[in-house]
Amino acid sequence: MADKIYKFSSSPHVKAPTTTTRIMQHVCIALMPACIMGIVLFGLNAFLILALSVLGAVASEFIYLLIVGKKFNEIIKQFDFTSCVTGLLIGLSIGSQVPLYVPIFASAFAIIVVKMIFGGTGKNLVNPAVTGRIFAFMSFTSVMASGWLLPSIASLSGGTSLSPTTGATVLTNLFTNGVSTDLSILDLLLGTGLAGCIGETCKLALILGGIYLAVLGIINIGYPVIYIVTTGLITVCLNGFNFSYFLPSILSGGLVLGAIFMATDYTTTPNTTLGNIIYFVLLGAVTAILRHATGIEVVSFAILLMNLFVPLIDKFVINKPFGYVKAKKTKGA
Amino acid sequence: MKTDFKKIATDGIITNNPTLKLVLGTCPTLALTTMAMNGIGMGAAVTFVLICSNILVSLLRKVIPSKVRIPAFVLIIATFVTIVRLLLDKFLPDIYESLGLYLPLIVVNCIILARAESFASKNGVLASAADGLFMGLGFTIALTLMGAVREVLGSGALFGIKLWDFQIGFFAQSSGAFFTYGVFIALFAFASNLIANKRRKLSAKQVDNTKEVQ
Repeated sequence: MADKIYKFSSSPHVKAPTTTTRIMQHVCIALMPACIMGIVLFGLNAFLILALSVLGAVASEFIYLLIVGKKFNEIIKQFDFTSCVTGLLIGLSIGSQVPLYVPIFASAFAIIVVKMIFGGTGKNLVNPAVTGRIFAFMSFTSVMASGWLLPSIASLSGGTSLSPTTGATVLTNLFTNGVSTDLSILDLLLGTGLAGCIGETCKLALILGGIYLAVLGIINIGYPVIYIVTTGLITVCLNGFNFSYFLPSILSGGLVLGAIFMATDYTTTPNTTLGNIIYFVLLGAVTAILRHATGIEVVSFAILLMNLFVPLIDKFVINKPFGYVKAKKTKGA
Repeated sequence: MKTDFKKIATDGIITNNPTLKLVLGTCPTLALTTMAMNGIGMGAAVTFVLICSNILVSLLRKVIPSKVRIPAFVLIIATFVTIVRLLLDKFLPDIYESLGLYLPLIVVNCIILARAESFASKNGVLASAADGLFMGLGFTIALTLMGAVREVLGSGALFGIKLWDFQIGFFAQSSGAFFTYGVFIALFAFASNLIANKRRKLSAKQVDNTKEVQ
């Protein structure tokens, strides 16, 4: 975000055409492969959920701004695509089995309570999409956390797909039964034959989107990689240094989606490089440990928890100004 | 000294509402507002204790040495809380059950201690009793309203009567309690600011009018 850089660097300043709106449009484009794969794998219901969550997010932003007394033309002029991104992320991070009111409630909560009340784009304390998803998860636990549907494309390796009646995702299976041989790494990468949220099963589409953002310089690809690798390594350590856990643990659940698109939100990450490294390593540790302790997917909870630590990290990790010499301690008084 | 009962009443229910303005006694407010009925039960218990303890503190205010006043107040409050507990256990076991641990915890409820300290120990018996009644009413109204909102949204019912099947579980949980409480405080502050501004304008107009007449 442009203002952020101005605040933390001295002159000279370079004027660039990058604006919040432009960045958010790029993020939308980067999310498209995941959306398309979600619709291909889970069908019409996935499309409806995605559409409703985006519509809900944009509509609630408009309604809020109208209530606080902005003119309609003004709102359209100031519209940046942040609420679109929030809506898309919410749609991608809930399962295709939920009733259609769930994405609307989640989007409305994310935009109105988490974003607008705190002052709009760039002022939110925690990531709106993550919080909206958690709101939906806590409110409609019975539909959000069970009854996962299997995608229309069966497992490529010929292994048995997980039965939807058990309501288990690959991740819960991994923790209860250990590494299974039913689904190959290729299946995990493509999302074929495995149940889960709309956007999280096809890792390849997410990674493509991540590479797109990294090439444009919108996100630093190092940070998601730190997060994912830390989670994988700590999961390995927690399971008695069994390295067969590494790939399944990072390729199942919402880790890739959360790491690339949710944890890298500008507003809720520290300002400095060292701060970011601390943040993403801690995020990975929290995710792996909580996953191990609870046996369910906790990426969204981990991101929410660590978002709250960002101000603290920013307080203690400060960039050294250029040419700054530490004042020598004078002995005695 | 003439006591202004109207001022005590508006103080307790609106201008100094213990829950929404002074933010006292938050522990039962957050924990018990899952149902509207809980709000009434808790409110009634607190109101009873508040009236009785205010009367007794006011009666004894010249006897209690100021250095040991807090232990003395707590002793008085604890006596009445014990009475309420025994009475509820005997006659209303359902409410006794649902209030659970929060009933004995009335002893350390800030509202009661705050009123004993800031009002009853400085005012006469009648005024203190009225203060206890209206403070308790303010607490009861706030708790019941919050309970009603959370019950309707969180479990689709009101006063235990089922309205519909649609439930938003968030409001039945503790995070929903914090959220509802925050929204209530914000709305209350908004409404009271609005009223205060209107009054200020009105009185300013009146001053103008009198000047013009002169």
